[in-house]
Amino acid sequence: MPTDNDNHVDRRTVLKYAGTAGAVGLAGCAGGGDGSDGEDGSDGDDGMDGGDGEDGSDGGDAFEVGVTMGQMDSGLDPQDHAETNTEIIVGQAYEGVLDRDKEGGIIAGLADEWERTDDGSVRFMLRDGVTFHNGDDLTAEDVRYSIRRIVFEDVGIVSPQSNDLGVVDEVTAGDGEVTVSFEGYNPIAFQLFATNCEIMQQSWVEENGGDYINRNANGTGPFRVTEYNSGNEVLYEPFEDYWDGAPEVDELRMSASSESSTRVNQLLAEETDIVTNVPPNEVSRVNGSDVATINSVASARIIFLQMRYDVEPFSSQQFRQALNHAVDVESIIENVLNGFGNITAQPTLEGHVGYNPDIDPYPYDPGEAERLVEESGHAGVEITLETPIGRYLRDVEIAQAAANQINSLSNVTCEVEQREFSSLVQDVTAPDIEDRPHFNLLGWGNAEFDGSQTLTPLLSSSGALTVLENDELDGLLTDAEATEDPDERVEILQEANQLAHDLAPWVFMHQQFSVYGVSNDISWEPRADEFIDPDTATQQ
Amino acid sequence: MSLGRFALKRSLQGIGVVWGVVTVVFALRFVTPGSPINAVAPLDASQETRQAIAAELGLDQPLYIQYGQYIFDLLQGDMGRSYIRGQEVTTLVFERLPATVELAIAASVVAIVLAIPLGVISATNRNDPVDYGATLLSLGGISTPNFWLGIMLILIFAVEFNIFNTSGRGVDVGDVALSVANAEPFVGTLLTWLAYITLPAIALGTYFMALITRLTRSGMLDELSKGYVQAARAKGLPRTLIRYKHALRNTLIPVITVLGLQLGTLIGGAVITEAVFSWPGLGTLVIESINNRDWPALQGSLIIIGTSFVLVNILVDVVYAYLDPEVVND
Repeated sequence: MPTDNDNHVDRRTVLKYAGTAGAVGLAGCAGGGDGSDGEDGSDGDDGMDGGDGEDGSDGGDAFEVGVTMGQMDSGLDPQDHAETNTEIIVGQAYEGVLDRDKEGGIIAGLADEWERTDDGSVRFMLRDGVTFHNGDDLTAEDVRYSIRRIVFEDVGIVSPQSNDLGVVDEVTAGDGEVTVSFEGYNPIAFQLFATNCEIMQQSWVEENGGDYINRNANGTGPFRVTEYNSGNEVLYEPFEDYWDGAPEVDELRMSASSESSTRVNQLLAEETDIVTNVPPNEVSRVNGSDVATINSVASARIIFLQMRYDVEPFSSQQFRQALNHAVDVESIIENVLNGFGNITAQPTLEGHVGYNPDIDPYPYDPGEAERLVEESGHAGVEITLETPIGRYLRDVEIAQAAANQINSLSNVTCEVEQREFSSLVQDVTAPDIEDRPHFNLLGWGNAEFDGSQTLTPLLSSSGALTVLENDELDGLLTDAEATEDPDERVEILQEANQLAHDLAPWVFMHQQFSVYGVSNDISWEPRADEFIDPDTATQQ
Repeated sequence: MSLGRFALKRSLQGIGVVWGVVTVVFALRFVTPGSPINAVAPLDASQETRQAIAAELGLDQPLYIQYGQYIFDLLQGDMGRSYIRGQEVTTLVFERLPATVELAIAASVVAIVLAIPLGVISATNRNDPVDYGATLLSLGGISTPNFWLGIMLILIFAVEFNIFNTSGRGVDVGDVALSVANAEPFVGTLLTWLAYITLPAIALGTYFMALITRLTRSGMLDELSKGYVQAARAKGLPRTLIRYKHALRNTLIPVITVLGLQLGTLIGGAVITEAVFSWPGLGTLVIESINNRDWPALQGSLIIIGTSFVLVNILVDVVYAYLDPEVVND
């Protein structure tokens, strides 16, 4: 088994370096206002499509792919949800103006060129010849309407995604191009548009009510919904007129099983081809079978134990650092997660914008931890770690292991309190910091691959979930927000990460992996952003 | 009291019970921590976004207005809109109900087909190894948690031997009927239907089967020791005739009562079995709604489950009153 994991790490590391390089290259091109690299990317895909034809003549069998997740969608309106499972289901049929590659780099979507204008707005030049599934052409007006439907409450719906594009001021549609202006500079506009904002057809939305839009889809994506069976399954066929060529998959089926053992059983009985969130204890059962294998990738989700800066004993920086020395993250990754995790030392993940490669994790050192606790003046303190149940991969077990290690210090007593996620989250997102938990485990997915999207909401004074108030960090984040030069901005964010490491508002834990079980009948590589893209799957 | 008045009285009581269910479930949301806004909005949503969503869902209204509005709409058959899915709860619930009823009936059929013969054999071979075997089986059935049984059935019959499907619902019984009606070759559809429903029906029906086996056995023993059986025997009637025509018939009356009452339990109690088998019924909807604090969907599901309980009870009561007029005067 250990050797098996090592193999995964090796391949992943390679992927990650490739991803980092790609992301940097593309970010550069986006900043320079030249989108031609994005086009090159799609040309590569076209090349692959040529190969697809050959596969077809070889086999002749219909290529069916089944995907089983933990939960079904909450309706098919792509702009009226904020949740990964729904995103995976609607994302087969809908697309944004920009997209991401498997490693998280920005690539072209419905726009084949994009640029920053002189006044700081962003402009998207739309691809020609894109049609919706109902046969109508995509227009700049549709794109404008879609952005406005997300951002403005008086257009259609109150979208939970309204903060996801930055503070949008106005959207204008020109001849095959759309310009979005913001309040302020919005340095991560392209990052935001690559993750969010799926495009719908204005007339289709306006002619149909909410019930219809939640049960039918009319996007521009690679798959067209053929059957929507609420809460049970969604069936798709390839969209023959897809601008990037129809996918190789002949029939796609999305379904869900809340029980992870049921998902694994479906995979082993060859009823489905991709299952999500295989728990570590089921990994050997999948790898030991001859029909499927485990395929994992480092995700954009970071797991940490956050400590409120304004309550004792966590108001002491020494105490917070002590806990970082007290928890042996490496051993938790090894023993609780079977190796499916990377240790972290800062809020920003490796490969994300603003990651500081010079920061090392706090070494595991109980002696040093006890000394720091003594110095902080909180020796003999009793603390409670609150953890959600079943929200993140092995969250309760991780919290118990960490609390045990803290508890084994001679001068700290630590207990675990298990809490149902919706009730914990109610407290974590309380408007007033005084109502938030003192010490709790939390996970954070950074879908934009940009450090500011973790630092600002979680650690700046104005953040929606913040546990910290630090003028220096606030200043750095405000600077980063206003900095137009990407390189300079990265430096500021790196400095912010160093500061966050030293302030230790969290016990830095690990980067979670997405662990999939994949049938040996198909070849498919998972993505860093938790999205599932069966249009890239090929028949084995 | 006439039978008609009795039925009316029972129905009015039933409406009272359903109203009670609605009110209790409605009250639950105010003592349960967690808000549906967190299931709708991202964690880092601003307070403005949260308030806008609360206003859109009507959560900013005072409690009594929310409650009054809900009851008012409910009386017109409108159970509101799901917070999470944005769809009519009435549509959602009635979409799921057939799957749950189908599974409950299939589980009852599995239970009855196995339990009654088992109970009879057990009673007529009292204290024989056959009897011990049947008793052991029913004891096992009563003490096995059905989620564990479900997982084991999947592992053995779906993963290892590949006879049945692990989970989900391929076609519904309506599809089978449709293919028969259209004179299509229906065997394929029927087999697909069986491949999906057999394991969950066994998992859900086992406890029920054990219960009926015990009931049949003790009822049968009771009847066989009665005077009329001895008289029949003295008269020289064949054993099989006495057992199956006379004794078994009398045994079945209480069995049918329990059957009726348990059907309600099966509809409400399929939650765990549905989760294990990803059966797209009301149970799955209940779990999802609880996790997301989707109160309208949860209330709608529980109202339907509560109503089916009440309906089955009324039906059993009325049938009983018809069979035994003395009940009416109690």
